[in-house]
Amino acid sequence: MATYLIRRLLSLIPVLLWITVLSFGIMHLAPGKPTDAATSFNPRVSLEARQRLEQLYGLDQPLARQYANWLTRIVKCDFGRSFLDDRLVIEKIAERLPITLAINLLSLGLIVGLAVPLGVCAAVRPHGIFDRVTTVLVFVGYSMPSFWLALLCMAWFGVELRWLPVSGLHALDYESFGFLHRWADVAWHLILPVSVAAFVSLAGFSRYVRSSMIDVLKQDYIRTARAKGLSEREVLFGHGLRNGLLPIVTILGLSLPDLIGGSVIAETIFSIPGMGRLFYEAVMARDYPVIMALVTVGAVLTMLGNFLADVAYAWADPRIRVGSEGSA
Amino acid sequence: MNRTDRLAWIGMSLILVLTVLALAAPWLAPYDPLAVSLPEALLPPSAAHWLGTDQLGRDVFSRLLYGTRISLVIGFIAMGVAVGVGVTIGAVAGFAGGWLDGVLMRAVDTLLSIPTIFLLLAVIAVDPAERLVSLTRWPIVGPVAAAVFHWIDPRIVVVMAAIGLMSWMGVARLVRAEILSLKEREFVLAARGLGASRWRLMTRHLLPNAMGPVLVSATLGVGGAILTESVLSYLGLGVQPPTPSWGNILNEGRVALGVAWWLTVSPGVCILVTVLAFNLVGEGIRDRFLR
Repeated sequence: MATYLIRRLLSLIPVLLWITVLSFGIMHLAPGKPTDAATSFNPRVSLEARQRLEQLYGLDQPLARQYANWLTRIVKCDFGRSFLDDRLVIEKIAERLPITLAINLLSLGLIVGLAVPLGVCAAVRPHGIFDRVTTVLVFVGYSMPSFWLALLCMAWFGVELRWLPVSGLHALDYESFGFLHRWADVAWHLILPVSVAAFVSLAGFSRYVRSSMIDVLKQDYIRTARAKGLSEREVLFGHGLRNGLLPIVTILGLSLPDLIGGSVIAETIFSIPGMGRLFYEAVMARDYPVIMALVTVGAVLTMLGNFLADVAYAWADPRIRVGSEGSA
Repeated sequence: MNRTDRLAWIGMSLILVLTVLALAAPWLAPYDPLAVSLPEALLPPSAAHWLGTDQLGRDVFSRLLYGTRISLVIGFIAMGVAVGVGVTIGAVAGFAGGWLDGVLMRAVDTLLSIPTIFLLLAVIAVDPAERLVSLTRWPIVGPVAAAVFHWIDPRIVVVMAAIGLMSWMGVARLVRAEILSLKEREFVLAARGLGASRWRLMTRHLLPNAMGPVLVSATLGVGGAILTESVLSYLGLGVQPPTPSWGNILNEGRVALGVAWWLTVSPGVCILVTVLAFNLVGEGIRDRFLR
């Protein structure tokens, strides 16, 4: 297991390097220099002042050197300062990351909680009535623009029926609430964003559970389990689901970039002060240090998620780790 | 004809109808999609304006019709770019193997690990349209670029190119996997034994046999590209107003969410139906030919 973990970790390094090259490269496609935004609209900035700024950001050095400098700095988690308010980028991210992570974990929980039963029910009788209905729903879910769904939910549950709050993370008089009331208030505000975020991935996900379960239920050991007289429930959940869920772990890991990317849309629509909204604001303001940092952080989060998924898979299925050690 | 076939035909006819609507938009649209008429702002659907009007009094139905053009063009061209890049890179990686394969596949892993929307927004944030326009001053490429920009706004070219360049990775992986398994098959070995050149092997024997899965993922990809364009335009970073696109109509609708539901409902239905149509066709092809 240890060898497997180390090999898997080492294989992340080239991808990490590529990520930094990419986010560095994109920013250097920009016309003009990043300091232009801070200086060129101000006629009183002298040439010397501009050069001093460029030196400060190292923009007068060759590209390769600039990249090397930037790389050594981000290894130490120093992403520089935001052009917008001159705060440390890492601070800005640190205060918003937990919100985004919490929302994504909640919707991930919701996805798994709903998709697994849906997929299993559909797999028990493939092409039965339940399967057909869910198939149609899955197609619609696949094709649904999530931001439109968010707008519709806002208009219906928020504006029309006034059941749920439509924006923000908590009520205006949040500070005056007691401890429990605060939690309830935040949860209340999260209902719409979390369920909208979950809905989109739910469709694809229940499909994966279904096809994985169909494959598993064809296996010999399922027939054996039935033949020795186990109850259908034990066959399905004890023998079937445990094996059927394995490939799902990997798919969950692979769906992470979509979830994190989706938070840009969800947080913008519901005005939630998370990482996605920070990214959107940075893009609108051409705040390059924040954009570069968030691209890197988003990718690292995804890689971490995939790594955890692989570890979980290897832990649950000895064939993976033994096989890879054998070939090493 | 089974059920998926039937659904695929429904999808196919929907795409056909949409294409006709897009082509015939100037004749079908009851109003000029850009004609502002402030006294008629935010009218609900009626006999005169089938789907109502927006904040500037423009006819929503006409704007949606013209939006169909934008969506279909962006969907097809972005997917064309993605398939072109994906097939090339996948074929080279699968055929060459070795370090080249390693480098290319790590690049694919990298792009897949960054949320697509992050990459797209980052690329659009650096404003590449300005750079593209400067292409027109180049020798040889210049006139071609100028001709293209005469027909399509450079900012829309950026959106198409960006979406295409961010979605080739799946195709590349597919093609690479197909080539890897195909190149050990007897008919390829036979062709090689007969002295076929690498180019001939690739173009006559390997690629044609790897095209099935590519076709499926391209069809699904058109829907995906249309969806992505609508997100970008909704965020105000894709197709810019006054040019109508389903996404930016939704953006205008958000402002009037409680007042003018028709501005939000109709473009969303258009996106949903169009993307659904491409997904139905893609799944139909998969069911029919690849299982």
